[in-house]
Amino acid sequence: MFALLKLIQSLVGALHSEGTPGQLAAGLVLGSFLGLTPLMNIHNAVILALLMLLNVSFAGGMLGWALFVPFGFLLDPLFDWMGHGLLLAPALRPLWTSLYNMPIVPLTNFNNTIVLGSFVFALVVAIPLFFVLRWAVARYRETVGARVRQSKFYQALTASKLYNVYRMFRP
Amino acid sequence: MTAPATARVKIFRWKAVGPLLVFFGIVGVLWILFADTIARHATQKVGTQVIGAKVEIAALHVDLPHGKVMIRGLTVASPHEAFRNLMQADELVADLDVVPLTEKKLIINRLAANGLRFGTPRETDGRVAAKSEGGDGVPSRVMAETREWASQFQVPVLQLATGKISIDSLDPRKLSTIPAAEALGARADSSQRAWKAAFDTLRVGPTLDSANATLEKLKHARATDLATLNEARQAIERLKRAQNRVTSFERGVKTGVASLQSGLAGLDSAKRRDYAFARSLVKLPTLDAPHVGAALFGPGAIRPFERVLYYTQLARRYMPPGLLPRASTGPARVRRAGEDVRFPKEHALPGFLLRSAELSFLLRPTADQPQRYAGHLTGLSSDPALYGRPMLAGATGPQLAAGAMVNHVHDIPVDTAGATLGGITFAAFQVPGVPLRLDPGAATTQLGFNLKGDTIHARFGLRSSNVRWVRDSGFASSAIGDLIWRAVSGISNLDVDARISGALHSPDFAVRSNLDQAIAQRLQAVLGEQVAAGEKQVRARVDSLVNDKVTPVRARVNELQTQAQAQIAQQHARIDELQKQLEQQLHNLTRGIRLP
Repeated sequence: MFALLKLIQSLVGALHSEGTPGQLAAGLVLGSFLGLTPLMNIHNAVILALLMLLNVSFAGGMLGWALFVPFGFLLDPLFDWMGHGLLLAPALRPLWTSLYNMPIVPLTNFNNTIVLGSFVFALVVAIPLFFVLRWAVARYRETVGARVRQSKFYQALTASKLYNVYRMFRP
Repeated sequence: MTAPATARVKIFRWKAVGPLLVFFGIVGVLWILFADTIARHATQKVGTQVIGAKVEIAALHVDLPHGKVMIRGLTVASPHEAFRNLMQADELVADLDVVPLTEKKLIINRLAANGLRFGTPRETDGRVAAKSEGGDGVPSRVMAETREWASQFQVPVLQLATGKISIDSLDPRKLSTIPAAEALGARADSSQRAWKAAFDTLRVGPTLDSANATLEKLKHARATDLATLNEARQAIERLKRAQNRVTSFERGVKTGVASLQSGLAGLDSAKRRDYAFARSLVKLPTLDAPHVGAALFGPGAIRPFERVLYYTQLARRYMPPGLLPRASTGPARVRRAGEDVRFPKEHALPGFLLRSAELSFLLRPTADQPQRYAGHLTGLSSDPALYGRPMLAGATGPQLAAGAMVNHVHDIPVDTAGATLGGITFAAFQVPGVPLRLDPGAATTQLGFNLKGDTIHARFGLRSSNVRWVRDSGFASSAIGDLIWRAVSGISNLDVDARISGALHSPDFAVRSNLDQAIAQRLQAVLGEQVAAGEKQVRARVDSLVNDKVTPVRARVNELQTQAQAQIAQQHARIDELQKQLEQQLHNLTRGIRLP
């Protein structure tokens, strides 16, 4: 229940933040990496650092993470297939072999079919996802955003303590 | 001056650098605080995945600045026995190469293992692979494979408890004679129909009728009646052709009859097979000494081979030859594990390498004076082709000599192991199918194992000079039991020798012991008559099931053969007779003069 409330707060808060649609979309895209790829990997530390350092919507990032986790689980067979195909492609073997025998790089677990498949998938969909989300956020704000902002539900939501925490990282 | 319409959006959020550094700082501090615990859990998890049995560690300390890892209280459960450990170690100290850790490679330059103990008891079931056969892990698959491999050496179990011979119920569906008889009956019917159709197409009857009519005309004809004479000659020609057709038909019938007779012979073969099958239901082995040895000690003797094969196959999976990319199951996590693909590279370090290990261990740790031994191990590597040398291991002591070589450097892997261990007290065990327990006492065991590619040569020997036999209470009232007891109870020496050789998937397995001859002679003397009676009984049972089907078919085939042959002979005779009459009549008319 708490997680659901948090998710709704993140969603509403992010959609009505002062950030531009582009900032929110960028945050969502970075968050999608966290959700689509297995979490406990070094590349996700870099994603987290980018979410904090870049002037994108951090709440959007958290929201993207929460939204894309189910897709991650759902698409695991696809990621496995993609990763398998990429890692065992003869043409790419020299690349993987040199990466595998480099310092630090093997710690990313790129040689795992799920990790590589999901990362490549997230990378491929990142740009189209960014533009689609930016358009969607803009349309939302133009259409129903103002009415939602005046609703009691929104007023109650933004009055909660969690919203105050969120405001610390708003763009 | 006018202000720009929109403020330029900043790319970096510099105020987040502080919280980010704090976040990573906290992660770093947590790592320092919990590194040992994390490493301990990870080692236990990986060890359990690799061995297929629980690996437990009491304490683990990682000292990265000095490149040392210390493990205390290591326990590795046996993958095969529920409440027994494969080994325990008081302390392990490993000197690591730190730099390769950044490449996710574990290079141990030297490992010192102290206080190793083998086969110690444990309170909980530590097996993992044995309980999850069919699972995804390598040990589960290897365990299933080796169990299936061992199960092919099914040896007949002696049934001596009561001295009775039991016969399993005979399922008629498993007899091959019945379907063969049905098929032959169908073939006989089909042949009969075919022959009848073929006989009708011969059209012998009209030819004979026509020839008869010509003969009658000829009897009243004159020598100058050339038309009738010509007609007679044509009738003779037609009879000759009809005779040829009948002869040709006869050849076909003979072939068909031969085929049916062959089918009858096939029924006899099938019946012999059914006798053999029924005999196999008599639960008693052939009373030859080698079979007795296999029945007595086969199930126990196969176990050492099964276990060595398990570890050998694990080594082949984890230490494969060659430098091609290799996929293995990824780490267990909430999401799908996927597969980890390794990419060995020439002249680079392998993923795992234990250069040298010195082992100090105890045998018979519970004895008053446990014996201390020393061993060594070199070149244990996940990529033998990169390391370039085989793994060697050895141990020596007062009553121990053991050595092993795992050579996966070249394309065809060669795994060799040999050990002689003296003074080991084995637990008493139940002799299969016999209510006797054998306590081997302090025995000397020998194991030789060689697996080159897929060819296995292995030997297991057990020698003891102070065996004890214990009767089970159920034995008391059995005359057979008494005889067996008298045969073995006076024997204090035990010499068991088991050998496996040949292709790994179906090798020859032979077990002999010094008890074989003694037990076989007693069995033959006492059970010979019962075995003969049992065999007679099952033959009678097979006959009763089979004869109902076979006898009518046999009669049908014989009847068909007789009918066909009689019919052909009759046609031959009629044609011959008519032809002779026509020729005679023609000769009488023309008086031997050949007219144009």
